[in-house]
Amino acid sequence: MTSFAPPRERSPLAGAATALALAGLVGAGLWAARRPQPRPQPGSALPVETARQPAARRARQGGMLLAASAAIDGATEHYRGGFHRWEMYLGPAASIGALAASAMQAAMPRPLREGLLLTAAGVGLAGHAFHARNILDRPGGVCWSNLFYAAPIGAPGSVALAGLAGLAATMLERREPEMPHRRGRWIAIGTVAGLLGTTAEVALLHFRGAYHNPAMYIPVTLPPIAALTLGAAAARPSPTRLRLAHRMLGATAMMGLVGTAFHAWGVHRNMGGWRNWQQNLLVAPPLPAPPGFTGVALVGLAAIDLLEASE
Amino acid sequence: MTSPPRRYPDYDVLDKRDSPSWDDITRHVVAGRLNPPERQFFDDALWDVLIALCDTIMPQPDRDRPIAIWIDAALAQNRTTGTRYDNLPPMREAWKRGLAALEAEARLCHGRPFHDLAQDAREALLKAIDREEVAAPEWNDLPPRRMFREVLANEIVRVYYSHPDAWSEIGFGGPASPRGYVRLGPNRRDPWEAEESAATRRSAEP
Amino acid sequence: MISQGSEIRAKDGRAPDVFSRDGWVAMRQYREAEEVDVAVIGTGAGGGVVAAKLAEAGLSVVAFDAGAFYRPLADFASDEREQDKLYWTDDRISGGDDAIEMGSNNSGRAIGGSTVHFQMVALRFRPEWFQARSRLGYGRDWPVDWREMWRCYDEVEDALKIAGPVTYPWGPKRGRYPYRQHELNASAQVLARGAEAMGVDWSPCPISTVSAPRGKSPPCVYRGFCKIGCSTNAKQSILNTYIPRALAAGAEVRDLAMVGRIETGSDGRATGVHYHRDGEWRFQKARRVVVAGYSIETPRLLLNSSSPSHPQGLANAEGLVGTELMVHSNHAVWGVMEDEIRWYKGPPSMAVCEHWNYDDDKDFHGGYAFMSQGPLPTDFATSMVKNLGVFGMELRRRMALYNHMAGLKIVGEVMPTPANRVELSEETDALGLPLPRITFRFGENDRKLSDHALRFMRTMHEAAGARDIFETAGSAHLMGGCRMGFSAADGVVDGAGRAFSCPNLWIADGSVMPTGGGVNPSITIMANATRIAGHMIGAIARGEG
Ligand SMILES: Cc1cc2nc3c(=O)[nH]c(=O)nc-3n(C[C@H](O)[C@H](O)[C@H](O)COP(=O)(O)OP(=O)(O)OC[C@H]3O[C@@H](n4cnc5c(N)ncnc54)[C@H](O)[C@@H]3O)c2cc1C
Ligand code: SF4
Repeated sequence: MTSFAPPRERSPLAGAATALALAGLVGAGLWAARRPQPRPQPGSALPVETARQPAARRARQGGMLLAASAAIDGATEHYRGGFHRWEMYLGPAASIGALAASAMQAAMPRPLREGLLLTAAGVGLAGHAFHARNILDRPGGVCWSNLFYAAPIGAPGSVALAGLAGLAATMLERREPEMPHRRGRWIAIGTVAGLLGTTAEVALLHFRGAYHNPAMYIPVTLPPIAALTLGAAAARPSPTRLRLAHRMLGATAMMGLVGTAFHAWGVHRNMGGWRNWQQNLLVAPPLPAPPGFTGVALVGLAAIDLLEASE
Repeated sequence: MTSPPRRYPDYDVLDKRDSPSWDDITRHVVAGRLNPPERQFFDDALWDVLIALCDTIMPQPDRDRPIAIWIDAALAQNRTTGTRYDNLPPMREAWKRGLAALEAEARLCHGRPFHDLAQDAREALLKAIDREEVAAPEWNDLPPRRMFREVLANEIVRVYYSHPDAWSEIGFGGPASPRGYVRLGPNRRDPWEAEESAATRRSAEP
Repeated sequence: MISQGSEIRAKDGRAPDVFSRDGWVAMRQYREAEEVDVAVIGTGAGGGVVAAKLAEAGLSVVAFDAGAFYRPLADFASDEREQDKLYWTDDRISGGDDAIEMGSNNSGRAIGGSTVHFQMVALRFRPEWFQARSRLGYGRDWPVDWREMWRCYDEVEDALKIAGPVTYPWGPKRGRYPYRQHELNASAQVLARGAEAMGVDWSPCPISTVSAPRGKSPPCVYRGFCKIGCSTNAKQSILNTYIPRALAAGAEVRDLAMVGRIETGSDGRATGVHYHRDGEWRFQKARRVVVAGYSIETPRLLLNSSSPSHPQGLANAEGLVGTELMVHSNHAVWGVMEDEIRWYKGPPSMAVCEHWNYDDDKDFHGGYAFMSQGPLPTDFATSMVKNLGVFGMELRRRMALYNHMAGLKIVGEVMPTPANRVELSEETDALGLPLPRITFRFGENDRKLSDHALRFMRTMHEAAGARDIFETAGSAHLMGGCRMGFSAADGVVDGAGRAFSCPNLWIADGSVMPTGGGVNPSITIMANATRIAGHMIGAIARGEG
C-alpha cells in the first residue's frame, strides 16, 4: 500500500503571517533606504543645493523599487512564459542593471550607471513592441482575451520607468546651476505619466479579476487622484497644492506596500494556497507588482521636494 | 505486431504521487488500483477467454498490467453503466454470454479455444465479429458489434486507461489536485508535465 | 474520510459543508407527519434552484435526491473510474434505431444533480427559439416570453458568477458576464484559428467556473477534470451555489432518498411522496410537489404514480408524459495537430462557435453550436472504440497521440418527435420500481443537421492544421418528456410549470423544455426554474397554489 501523506491543510493563519512578513520586509527595506531629512518649513524655502540631495535620494529609491519590482515580476512572468524566446531575458536583465545602477550610486562609474539606466529605458520601450507582437500573433489579435492573457502590453513600462527614475536621480546629483522647479516639473510630468500608465495596467488586470474584492478599486482610484494633484501642483505650485500632492503621493506609496500584502492574501486564496506555490506564485496576483506604485510615488515626492524648494 | 508506443520514455505519473498534484483521495484510489482483488465472478473456462480477449484488445508485450481481474471485480459488485441496450441482456449475463459466444466462434472457425489462437487470428476473429460476420449459434439474438464494442471492448479499454502506466504512456498529466496547470498554450508545458521525446515530437508516428 | 457515496450525511440537524473537507452546516429538519409547504424531488439544475428560491421566499421545503451529498475537496478523486459514482448507473433500457447512451453520458445522481459533473458551458438560447414554430417554422413555441427568460438568465448567471467574454458576438446585446473569460487553452486556440481561417466568429466560451476567487471558491486551476467533478470548488455547480443557499434559508435536503411514488388524494391533488431512505420506504406529507428528476426519472416517477384519480399516471390525462424526449446530437471531428495541445488542461470547452445557431441560410431546421474539446483518456479511448471499432496495438498507438489531438464537437438541435419517448418496462429495479424504457431515433432533419456540421467542422479543422481527421457520432443531454404547453392537449404543464391535470404539482427540470435549442441546456433549465419558482411564489401568495 502507498503511504498516506499527512493531511495538509492550508491554514488561514499561515497565509496571513506570510503576507505580513512580506509586507514587513518591503517596508523595512524602504525604511533602511531612507534617512531622516529636514523638512522644509513653510515660508523658509531651503536653498536649492540642499533640496536637490533629498530629491535625488528619493528619486533613486523610487528607481530602485521600480527596478526591483520590474525585475522580479518580469522574471516570474517570463518564467511562466517558459523563456521561449531569448529576448525574454532582456527585460529582467535590464531591470537588474537598473537596480544595480541605482543602488551602487557611488561605487559605480557614472557613465556605466547612466548606460545601464538608458538601456533599461530603451529595453522597456522595445518591450512594448514585443508584447504588442505577441498579442497580434495570437488568434483574435487585439481582443480582450489577448489583452488579459497574452504578454501584458503595459508591463514593460515599469522597466522603462525604472530606468528613467534612475536617470532623473543621476541628473539631480549633478551640480548644475539650473532652475529646480524646471526639473521638478519635468519629473512631475514623468511621474504623472508613470502613475497613469501603471493605473491603466492595474485597471486591466483588476478588471480581469472582475474586481471581486472592493479593495481592488483602490489602486485604480488613488493613483490617478495623486497624479491629478501632482499635475496641479506642478502646473501652478502653491503650498496647499504641494501639501495635498505630497499627501496623496505618500498614500500611494503606502498603498503599493499594502498591495503586496493583499496579493499575498490572494496567493493563499488560490487552490492549495502557499503549498501549491509553484502554481500560485505564477497565477495568483503578482506579489512584486504593487510596490511599483511606491516607486513611482517616491519619484513624485522627489518632484515635490524640488518644487517646494523653488516655491 | 507493431511495437508499443514510447513517446514519453522518461515520464512516470506515479513520480508525482507525493507532490501537490495528488490529493489524499486520489492517492487512496490509485493505491487501490495497484492492488487487484481476488477473482470472484468468472469460472475458469470463461476466465481463460477473458484473459485472451484482454490481451487482444489491449496487448501489452511491454508489461503486464492486470485488466481481467478488474472486470471480474466490477461484475462481482454488479457495477453497471446505466445503459442497457434493449437487445442486450443485463450486464452480468451479457459478459457471460458474450465470452461464451466468442469462444464458440473460435472453436467453430479454428477448431481451437480462443486463448490458443495466435494474436493475428484473434484479431481477425474480433474484426469479423465487429463486422457482424458470425456463425456460432451461441450468438443467437445477440448483436455482435454492439456486444463487442459497447460491452467487451469498452470495459477492457476503460480498465486499461485507468492504470497510471497507461497515463504515463500517453503523456497524460494524471491526477491534478490541488495543483493544476499554469501553461495552457500550444507547445507549452509545466515542469510537472510529461516531456515528449525529441525524436517523436515532430512526427505523428507513435 | 473516504466517501463511498453510500452514507447518509444530511441528518441530525446538519448537512455537509461543501466548502470543507469534513465540516458541517446547520440544517433545519421537518417531521414526516408535518405537511411541509413543498416537497422537491431532485436537486439538480432545476430542483436545486427551485428549492433555494422557495425556501428564500419563506416556504418550508424538503428536497429529496437519490444521490449522495459530496464534499468536493475530500470526495472527488482525479480519477475517471472512481468518479463513476457521480452518475446514474442503474439500468435503463435503451432502444430504438439510435438508442441513447445513458449513465455518464447524460445523467447524474448526486445532490446538485448533473451539474456536479457538467462541463459548465453556459450558453443562452437564441431568443427566437422560444417561438421556434411561429418564427422559424419548426418544433414548438414555448408558452413563455423570451424577455422573461432573458431576465432569469441574468439572475442565474450572476448566481453562478459565469466567467464569460466581455463581448459576445451573437444574439441580442447582453449585460456583462459577472466574471471575466478564462485564458484560452491550446485546444480552444485551434478552434479560434480555424474560425478565423473560415471567416466566421468565435468566442471564448462562457463557463460556470470562476476566473477569480469567489467566497470560498478559489479560481479554476485548469486541472481539466470538470466532467468527473471539480475537486477545487472553482466550478459553480448547484451543489456549491444553490444548495448552500437553500440550506441557509431553512430548506431540508434529504440525500440518498429515492422517491418512488407521488401520492394523490381522491380529489386528484398530490398529498406527499413515498421515498426510500436508509433501507425502508417512508412517506413525507406535503402541500405541493415539485418534480425535477430530469427527462427520464421525471416521466418514470409520474407514470409510476398512477392512482384512481390519475389512472394513466400522474399528470398524464392526455398521454403526453414521456413523449417528445430529446437529446442533442453530439457529433465531432478529431484530428492530429503538429503542435502539442495537451487538451487535458483547462475546462474541456473553452472556445465556442455559434455561427450556425444564428445564420439561417441552411438546409435544415434548428441550429448547432460547436466547441473545442478536451476528453479525459478513457473517455476518448472508448469513443474511438465505439465509433471506429479500433482496438489492439492500433488503439494504443492512436492514444499515444493524445497530447497532439484536437477536436470540435457539436451540440445540435434535435426535433421533438412523439415516438422518441420514455415508458415503463415490465422489469423492476432493486427497490421494485419499474425500469424506464427509452426509445430514440434521429429524424431526417437531425441527420441533415449533423451532416452539415460534420462537413463544416471538417473544413474548419483542416484549416486549423489538423491531419488524419476522423469523425464520431453521439448524443448528449436530455430534454423534454414532460413539455410545457399552452393547453392540456398541448403539454403536461403550463408555462408556469404547473401540471394541467394536477393543480398542486409542478415540474421544473429539463423535461419541461418543448424544444432543445442548439446549446447546452443547463443554464436554460436553471433560468426556467427561476421563472417557475417566481410564478409559484406569486400563486401561493395569491392563495392560488
Ligand atoms: C457529462 C455531462 C456534461 C454536461 N455538460 C453540460 C454543459 O457543459 N453545459 C450545460 O448546460 N449542460 C451540460 N450538461 C447537461 C446538464 O447537466 C443537465 O442538462 C442538467 O443538469 C439537467 O438538469 P435537471 O435539473 O433537469 O436534472 P439533473 O441536474 O440531472 O438533476 C436531477 C436530480 O434528480 C435526482 N432524481 C431523479 N429522480 C429522482 C427520484 N425519483 N427521487 C429522488 N431523486 C431523484 C437525481 O439524482 C439528480 O440528482 C452535461 C451533462 C453531462 C452528463
Ligand atoms: S479545470 Fe477548473 S473547473 Fe474544471 S475541474 Fe479543474 S478547477 Fe474545476
